[in-house]
Amino acid sequence: MDHIDNKSEYNKKSLHSTTTKLSRDTFVEGISVKQRACLEILGFGKENRVIELGEEEIIIGRIPECEICLSIENVSRQHARVIFRNEEYFVEDLDSTNGTHVNGIKIVKCVLRNSDQINIGGVKILFTEDKTLQKT
Amino acid sequence: MMPSNEAKPLVTFWGTRGSVPTPGRITEKYGGNTPCVTVRYQDIHTIFDAGTGIRNLGIDLIEEYNKTGKGLSLHLFFSHTHWDHIQGLPFFQPVYIKDTSLTIYGSPHKEHFLASILKGQMDYEYFPIGMSEFSADITIQEISEEVLHLGEVIIDWQEQVRHPGGSVRYRLDINGKKIVYATDVELDLIFHSHADTKKNKAMAQDYLDFIYNVDLLIADGQYTDKEYPSKKGWGHSSIQLLLDIAYQAQVKQLAIFHHDPQHSDQFLDELWMENRSKFHSDYKKMDVFWAREGMTLAI
Repeated sequence: MDHIDNKSEYNKKSLHSTTTKLSRDTFVEGISVKQRACLEILGFGKENRVIELGEEEIIIGRIPECEICLSIENVSRQHARVIFRNEEYFVEDLDSTNGTHVNGIKIVKCVLRNSDQINIGGVKILFTEDKTLQKT
Repeated sequence: MMPSNEAKPLVTFWGTRGSVPTPGRITEKYGGNTPCVTVRYQDIHTIFDAGTGIRNLGIDLIEEYNKTGKGLSLHLFFSHTHWDHIQGLPFFQPVYIKDTSLTIYGSPHKEHFLASILKGQMDYEYFPIGMSEFSADITIQEISEEVLHLGEVIIDWQEQVRHPGGSVRYRLDINGKKIVYATDVELDLIFHSHADTKKNKAMAQDYLDFIYNVDLLIADGQYTDKEYPSKKGWGHSSIQLLLDIAYQAQVKQLAIFHHDPQHSDQFLDELWMENRSKFHSDYKKMDVFWAREGMTLAI
């Protein structure tokens, strides 16, 4: 009987936890997720170049006025653009001579997903996207 | 001089998933929306099926309408009326605009039921808004025996009986460029049938003739060879057979469509990597790819 009584006592105590309760705000404050997207130009120049994308349009082409200038003959003067629309990135061909390819398919326009490989006049460009935490 | 992209027929995939929508991270690349494909040539908008993918098309068209103020003239062709091909229609914003003219076409074998099926899915028990609340000018009509001419776009069709309830395939001829939309058909029952009947032979020849030398074939390839035996009779085709038939018919570009709900992006990418060299060596003259939501091609 003693044994049973001791166990009951223990159970009663456990119902009254002494752990400090946290408010719901503690779990949500300070968390902000930022979407981060980049284009990585592979094998063009000495090192791979990484361009972080924002919400502004990026033109890819041969002429120096382009945000991404690929000065080779296979690339049209203004070859393609990357746009941000409805919270997604798209690549769009600008009537280029050699076309714009995504993962080997010649496209006019295509929504971009993580690890998509864009090909502009033989130059490979990798699209990457991830979410990072940022402090508030 | 090469014609600009705008002077070519533009094909956009708005929904590529078969059977049921599959939202979520593991399907975001090839898409989770059910079938909807558009072929746009200048001012002529043709839409194939109204799966959930048509919702995003509607958003796009409304943006365009708001910019230009020009009313929308649309032609919607149904392959058939299974849920995954009609369920997006109540969410297609242009139907709630007076300036929209929408002509809906479907199989004559549904007799007068096409309108009642579409209305039926908007009965109050299923949806709070009835089809009578569509503001657009809507015409529902059966396709006739004759080919349809929409300006320079010529549309032909054939019935497909190897799908529960049947379906229709469409072929567009636009200034010599040919595009076929042929989903929801079990080619295995036609081409690999043990009952090698006269009827099957005729159906196989009809299919080969219909897709012969087309510039783009958008076709049902829901199952792998391994999966197909347990799905026999469900009305969908195996990928390998589709590849063989399309190649035999000298198809130039093949978009494998109506992805199985269980096929994640990773699954499709791995399947592609396993077969990539075979696709390139065995089907040299044919471009093969998985249809992908959010992708536009010029034909």
